[in-house]
Amino acid sequence: MTTPHWPRVIALVDMNAFFAAIEQRDLPELQGRPIGITNGAQGTCIITCSYEARAFGIRTGMRVKEARRLCPHFLAVAARPERYAAVSTAIMDALITITPDVEVFSVDEAYLDLTACQSLWGPPDTVARRIKRTVYEASGLLCSVGVSGDKTTAKYAAKLRKPDGLTVIPPWETAARLRDVPVTDLCGISHGIGGYLAARGVRSCGDMAKLPISELARRWGDIGRRIWLMAQGLDPAPVQTQVAAPKSVGHGKVMPPNTRSHEVIITYLEHMAFKVAVRLRRHQLHARTFFIGLRADEWLGGHYRSEYPTDDAAPVLALCRNMLEQHWRGQGVHQVQVTALDPRPALAQGDMFGDSAPRRAACNQVMDAINQRYGEFALAPARLLGRSSMPNVIAPAWKPYGHRDTIQQRR
Amino acid sequence: MKFIIQREAILKPLQIVSGVVERRQTLPILSNVLIDVSPEGLALTATDLEVEMRVNTPLDMPQGGKTTLPARKFMDICRALPEGAVLEVTVDKDRAVIKSAKSRFVLATLPPAEFPNIEEMRPVLEFSIAQGLLKRLIERTQFAMANQDVRYYLNGLLLEVGGEELRAIATDGHRLAYCSTQNSIKTEENQNIIIPRKGVNELQRLLSDTDQLVQVQIGTNHIRVMTEELKFTSKLIDGHFPDYQRVIPQNPDKLIISDRETLRQAVQRTSILTNEKYRSIRLQLEPQSLKVLAHNPEQEEAEEEIAVDYTGPGLEIGFNSTYILDALAAVTGDDVELRLSDSNSCCLIQGVGDTRCKYVVMPMRL
Repeated sequence: MTTPHWPRVIALVDMNAFFAAIEQRDLPELQGRPIGITNGAQGTCIITCSYEARAFGIRTGMRVKEARRLCPHFLAVAARPERYAAVSTAIMDALITITPDVEVFSVDEAYLDLTACQSLWGPPDTVARRIKRTVYEASGLLCSVGVSGDKTTAKYAAKLRKPDGLTVIPPWETAARLRDVPVTDLCGISHGIGGYLAARGVRSCGDMAKLPISELARRWGDIGRRIWLMAQGLDPAPVQTQVAAPKSVGHGKVMPPNTRSHEVIITYLEHMAFKVAVRLRRHQLHARTFFIGLRADEWLGGHYRSEYPTDDAAPVLALCRNMLEQHWRGQGVHQVQVTALDPRPALAQGDMFGDSAPRRAACNQVMDAINQRYGEFALAPARLLGRSSMPNVIAPAWKPYGHRDTIQQRR
Repeated sequence: MKFIIQREAILKPLQIVSGVVERRQTLPILSNVLIDVSPEGLALTATDLEVEMRVNTPLDMPQGGKTTLPARKFMDICRALPEGAVLEVTVDKDRAVIKSAKSRFVLATLPPAEFPNIEEMRPVLEFSIAQGLLKRLIERTQFAMANQDVRYYLNGLLLEVGGEELRAIATDGHRLAYCSTQNSIKTEENQNIIIPRKGVNELQRLLSDTDQLVQVQIGTNHIRVMTEELKFTSKLIDGHFPDYQRVIPQNPDKLIISDRETLRQAVQRTSILTNEKYRSIRLQLEPQSLKVLAHNPEQEEAEEEIAVDYTGPGLEIGFNSTYILDALAAVTGDDVELRLSDSNSCCLIQGVGDTRCKYVVMPMRL
């Protein structure tokens, strides 16, 4: 190896006109044409547009009407979120073959920490080309890659050449390369902070070193300190491979229209409570507050709190019964929802007065093991024999092994 | 209304009562302290509608009357005046004037008629007990009370009177503290009451470590503790305390005896490298040896080994180190005994030769 290793190697992968590129790849008749993605057939706002459209000055956020004025041949295409999520998942899965240290930053962006792979994959420009090839093989799409010694500079580098760009900024060049870049061009520096900096004479990154770090820390705390470092090409932020803990775990289902049978509603609720409990257990989570809802003309129900944090369906079902009693007056309903709102790591600490919890937990453990082997609901409460036979609707973005739909949420 | 008093004579009573005053109030009157001047002297009262504290102080030549003053401000003024200062407090209509040498303060008052009275209590049981005894009983159990648990009856201290004993029990469901003291209280039936957290804290604060007797009255909804100058009243928690006897291990077959301080220090040091949230430590038991182990999400590790008196089989068990430390701090004596059955059952901690206080800690799954 002739090139010395960098202290850190961070790459940002940015998909070019992601949604539009997928549509053009899937539908050959769209290739080479100015298209824009809208939210459904009725959407009037352009979510993203192809490079052909950009050539006419069409931009994200523009109205379709305005786009047509700029380019009469402009084609509005209804978004297919599930499709984009599937492609995104495929790309992210492929990137993991290069390094396990991948941070899915958004549906079409990911940071890769390549520091530990320098001997394996070679110098930064070589690995950058490998990344582009990997993405193309996984999706048939082009991307721009920026490589540098920190996240901020990598992201800045990826933006420099689009589409199909590749920019490498060695860490020892970052300060010089960023010197004349306006600070607000960096990811994470909003107009609020930009204004604060401008008032203190900091407009470009090169001005930042003149400002004492305490001036930023005083007003913005650690974020301020990070920004001070960022502008000098010293962004300390690590690539976050850990997915943050889920904010909620929920299941819902559409029921036959105008369902009025107490028995049927209870079965649906138990079905959802059961699924929520299984998923809490799978990720070793407990929850105490649940949203339990039934949809008539509007949502009936609300937030319910169980006595202890739980991962068991029984107390959740008890809350469901409370909800029915309080809110349901026999009207026809067509949807159920049970969501755990405060999932947190299950406490390994036992409770002296918790009712027969250890037996319950042991029973659930056995049931989960059986169901994992013989299929969902192979072993389930008898009532669930009469559960809805509607298939599970699983968006491609929903990862069976992830507790959160990273991609869907970030879309 | 007018009275003259030395700074030191009013400061201490003021500090005692203002502990009850909540910092944030929805009812403005609750931020105030009730001042009642009569031929008997000065009485200061503060309340948060749950706990009421009243302190009496003698006065020279008082001019009787009642008012209420903002507790914090009044106390801050008294505290900030120089030592030995003499205060003259006069109330005229809705203003109170405090004069001391060349200082002068005018405070807003609220009508004393608005000051809430805790409803009359009819004692069903009355007894007296040495202050220090009651204080220790509380001190050695209160730390195990729950805090903001939905099981509201755990957010307090259970006091049991019966069988010529006074017993205090606190638990948050994860650990339990039990302490009893002999008392020649004559009662026909056992009295069980739950004193809310705040009342327990205030009571512990006002009791001193002396043999001086305090008078205790228990009513259906209140407890009152009185000395000559002090009257503390707290509402009780109306709830059913769980059957704590059930969770005190009856026949744990493994007995470990250790020097208390050695064990405490080992656990203390080990706990530095526990997971900050769960504080879990592992105890590894071998004949004559106890290892205390911890590790955290950063993969840092701590290990301590101490010599103990133990002859049983090897056993590994996990605990929240905070619970163990709390128990070891509350136990008295040089040696402590830990009694265990298996890694899923509660551990009983007692001072060697002291069965009056028992601490039960529920293990953590490893």
